[in-house]
Amino acid sequence: MIEPRPPPNLFSLTLRMWGFAIVRLLAALVLGALVGQFFEDWWIGVAITLSAFVAWQLLNLFRLDYWLRHRSIAKPPALGGIWDDIVTQVVRLYRRKRYHKQAFLQLMREVRNSTGAMPDGVVVLNKLGEIAWMNRMAAELLDLRRKQDIGLRVENLVRQPEFARYLAGTEYGAPTVIRASGTTDHYLSCHVLPYGDGQRLLLVRDVTRQTRLEAMRKDFVANASHELRSPLTVISGYLETLSGDPALDRELVAPVEEMRRQTGRMTAIIRDLLELSRLETTEYEVSGAPIDVPAMLAMLRKDVLARANRPADVRLEVDSDQWLLGDEPEIHSAFSNLVDNAAKYTPASGRMAIHWRADEDGGHFAVSDTGMGIPQEHIPRLTERFYRVDPGRSRATGGSGLGLAIVKHVLQRHGATLTIDSAEGSGSTFACHFPPRRLLPPQSRAMAEAG
Amino acid sequence: METADLSHHISSRFNADLEKVRANLLAMGGLVEQQLEKSVMALVEGDSQLAEAVAANDHEVNRMEVAIDEECLRILATRTPAAGDLRVVLSIVKAITDLERIGDESEKIGYIASRLASMERPADRYREIKHLGRLVHAMLHGALDAFARMDTEAALRVAREDRLIDEEYEAIQRQAVTFMMEDPRAIRRALDVMWVVRALERVGDHAKNICEYVIYVVHGKDIRHTCLEDAEDVLRLRSGSRPG
Repeated sequence: MIEPRPPPNLFSLTLRMWGFAIVRLLAALVLGALVGQFFEDWWIGVAITLSAFVAWQLLNLFRLDYWLRHRSIAKPPALGGIWDDIVTQVVRLYRRKRYHKQAFLQLMREVRNSTGAMPDGVVVLNKLGEIAWMNRMAAELLDLRRKQDIGLRVENLVRQPEFARYLAGTEYGAPTVIRASGTTDHYLSCHVLPYGDGQRLLLVRDVTRQTRLEAMRKDFVANASHELRSPLTVISGYLETLSGDPALDRELVAPVEEMRRQTGRMTAIIRDLLELSRLETTEYEVSGAPIDVPAMLAMLRKDVLARANRPADVRLEVDSDQWLLGDEPEIHSAFSNLVDNAAKYTPASGRMAIHWRADEDGGHFAVSDTGMGIPQEHIPRLTERFYRVDPGRSRATGGSGLGLAIVKHVLQRHGATLTIDSAEGSGSTFACHFPPRRLLPPQSRAMAEAG
Repeated sequence: METADLSHHISSRFNADLEKVRANLLAMGGLVEQQLEKSVMALVEGDSQLAEAVAANDHEVNRMEVAIDEECLRILATRTPAAGDLRVVLSIVKAITDLERIGDESEKIGYIASRLASMERPADRYREIKHLGRLVHAMLHGALDAFARMDTEAALRVAREDRLIDEEYEAIQRQAVTFMMEDPRAIRRALDVMWVVRALERVGDHAKNICEYVIYVVHGKDIRHTCLEDAEDVLRLRSGSRPG
């Protein structure tokens, strides 16, 4: 086994170097003294030797200083003795520094190349919202100038009010889509990610294609539903006549009833599709008018009690007399959807309750039941169109499959959210939470009718 | 003053108050830009709901004008700014008036859009108005960008676009008169179109004012009643004569 060489003992090296230098000086002094003695004054000899020595060191200092100032690393001076050691150390330091600098520059270049290759725009914002850095794509998408706009506030240049609102908020959860300024119809999705000490990363992506596709889809659904309505009305009409005809063949009575039921379902689906597409195209929040919530809930309870299949126990728990500010038909549609669902999916032996209360977080409407409940895995997808937890059962009970999607959109238009709590076998609670700005103190009937 | 460095030079001297009132002005600008865009779209697409939204938002524009005006007054009174800073505050006070007027013009366009929405769309589907609307919107956007960057070259470039708009305006006017002469039943709509086009031309003028304020802030030179060629000459002389 080869023994690794012991590291050179720096201390002994230094000692040797300095020792050698001191010995050399002493030898020179002795020589000087001897020469001086030859000329009667030994101390003059010593003095001259010392002066020569000092002069020589000053010269070396000057050469070192000159060399450092002009930094020609390739040509370090040969100064002899300890000076050489110093020169070597300086050269080494400098080489190390240059190496690190090159490595750093290379890293920066790679980072810049990779961010340049990103298809998305990236803007780094400091605490004040000023642009610290952006990549090429961001400059292109947001119509900014990469060098000149550093230090400017991003919302001074990207001035869409929605963008300013999004940036000023604290909740950056979902990206917001803004319409790009400019002559062409471009849409940008902006997502803000906070990091570090108050800094934010702004990601910008061109979503024009997706937005156009969405618009086409919505138009298609609206148009198709509209077109389907008229033939369906004709068929419904004839079936209505047939079912009311006492002279109808006995074998045909049941089939005609079934056909009526199915066309009824199709009509409901088309009606809900049209409602949904109307809600989707008007995406901004409604301003609205005062809605007497306690009165509406009392009516809803009466409607449930009139249903054929419902739980026996239907309660009304109204803990607040507050009214809502919104669109009455839409709110009624949303609330009755939830109430109907509860009635449908709760057995006659079960219970259901309609709740309304208000606190500092806003107004809360809820429908709770002791029905069959919903398995956990289905809950996130419940508001999707036509989503069925149990296809067999729910198709039999009727309904278009669009009710919850409608509820979701109505709530969105009122700045509200939907929460679903459910456990399989024990029941469910569907709750709508309205922000405080949607609450109104109870208005007089006259005011409500005038407004 | 070194023009190249000016925006950073001025920005670094802005204290937080000035920066804030500048940001508020540009936010008002953003809202007004959107109002303009929406009003023209409402007219071209016959969307009366959009037109109503524009009319409803105008009070927000007015509110912002009052708020920024008060802020500027407060800065003038408590900080007594001088030189460049003073010019900035004065320009902001003037610019919010221009922006508020643009908001009013957009509201007018919105009203006409509501009225025209119930009528039958003409053969050309308001193509000229759409085109003029785009030009004017681009001009307003450019003017506000130049203000945000304190970029005098951009300001001059945008100010020049006003000429284009004036030409378009006259062309549409002539066309409208032709329609009126050909078919008296079209007079009502032609008059509405002329109102809209006049409003857009005014918006262009207000945008040009904002460009002039940029030059005022940066160079201390008021070019409001100078024609553009003379203004460019004056500015070139000024930047040529700066020391170093």
